[in-house]
Amino acid sequence: MTPEEMQAAIEALQGLSNTNLEIFYYWCTAIMILIHAGFLMYEMGASRVKHSLASGTKNILAFAFMIPTFYMFGWLIYLSMWQGFTYDPVWGEFGLPMSAIMGPNMADQATGVFWGAFTLFACTTASILSGAVIERIRMASFVVLAVILGSVVWNLAASWGWHPAGWLVTEYGYHDSVASGVVHTISGFFALGVLINLGPRIGKFNADGSANIIRGHSLPMTITGLMLIVVGFFGFIGACVLYNYGVGGGWTNIYGGPTTLSAYLFNTLMGVAGGIIGCYACTRDPFWMMSGALCGVISVAAGLDLWYPPLAFAIAFAGGFLGPWAAKQIEKMGIDDAVGAVAVHGVCGVWGLLAVGIFLGGYPGFSSWDGFEIPPINMTGQLIGAAVMIATGFIPGYVLSWIFNKLGVLRAGDGVQRDGMDNELEGVAYPEEIRSQ
Amino acid sequence: MFNSSPITSWEGAEAIFTYADSPLGMAVCFWIMTAMLIVPLVVSYNAEERAEIAHQ
Repeated sequence: MTPEEMQAAIEALQGLSNTNLEIFYYWCTAIMILIHAGFLMYEMGASRVKHSLASGTKNILAFAFMIPTFYMFGWLIYLSMWQGFTYDPVWGEFGLPMSAIMGPNMADQATGVFWGAFTLFACTTASILSGAVIERIRMASFVVLAVILGSVVWNLAASWGWHPAGWLVTEYGYHDSVASGVVHTISGFFALGVLINLGPRIGKFNADGSANIIRGHSLPMTITGLMLIVVGFFGFIGACVLYNYGVGGGWTNIYGGPTTLSAYLFNTLMGVAGGIIGCYACTRDPFWMMSGALCGVISVAAGLDLWYPPLAFAIAFAGGFLGPWAAKQIEKMGIDDAVGAVAVHGVCGVWGLLAVGIFLGGYPGFSSWDGFEIPPINMTGQLIGAAVMIATGFIPGYVLSWIFNKLGVLRAGDGVQRDGMDNELEGVAYPEEIRSQ
Repeated sequence: MFNSSPITSWEGAEAIFTYADSPLGMAVCFWIMTAMLIVPLVVSYNAEERAEIAHQ
């Protein structure tokens, strides 16, 4: 083979590699849309009939608004804010909405698929808020809150803790490979901040502070939706690995550390199973059993690349106990979280981060694919990371919803809630006049 | 009607999206999109205000 032929072969292989990369992330993104199909069913089923279309509409709008706003500033924030609150123009150039690579470009097969995958991560983050606030939040305010969460807040956290140069990663060794913290803790605690100002649904709490159960109109729809979310998670998790940048080629985690897709599959499945069985064991409630799948996956997500699978099962099983228990404590505090989002995503997300600190200490540091030195995994880094995620989620959620509440645009009035949020929309959920209790 | 192509040949073409060679064209599209996000929120807000009054 002549040198020219060798060069041509190398270029052909590189082209094939780029094409494989495009195909992989394209389909991961497509599968992630199932998360939103799942959240749609989940929230509509968890709503009473008179609110069900409004719940679905809210969810769809969050999805739709996230895409252009993530294009406008979300991607830019993720790429450029890794130092804290300082903009890095070198990285930022790749995310500017008027950059030559932020559109069809024959010389760039990567930006579009990575942008797409991250956009779907943002949509997931916003959907987590969406379920918590059903049946009483006003649509326009919800959309603004969702945009702030999905296209600003989580991106900032991801730039700090889910970026090979992020300060939490390079200074403290924070390890969160599939986003227990940067997606789930952030959105769970953002939702908590909003719920405090939003207040409960009418009839949720009695005068003595005791809580009533408000049942959604279709538990089968909710359970099926939860299973769809689990299916979509496989796209989410696939998009959390990087292709062809690792040691000697192959897969790396989001930071550039060596891994395999097999590692993710072992432990994702164990997480799903452990969470379901854990929740079933402590509640025997079908709703919580399927929410347990989320509790389990979120509990193992931060260390998904490293767990011994039976340990992943045990951590997820514990998450399956933790989720419903935390939901009860939150309810006792007078906070009405309609679907347990704070407990499932916020509390189990923190558990996932701490589990990494407890069980994965001692894994060596490495150089990220951008050349940054990443310290070994350690408990201090996980504790700092968890505290940062809680604060970064909670503070903007609380402050913004407090402002909206003062302006009188956060919560639907009692009359609208009583007659049904669907009255504001065209269409009828069930023409046969099925009525909610 | 609008000459939006940034290329005159496919040979060696890189950025091929409409107005890729025109910062003004891109800016106009960008701000139109921004307005298209704000207007529906205003419409939604007004509809919610009317619903509040109707269901008092």
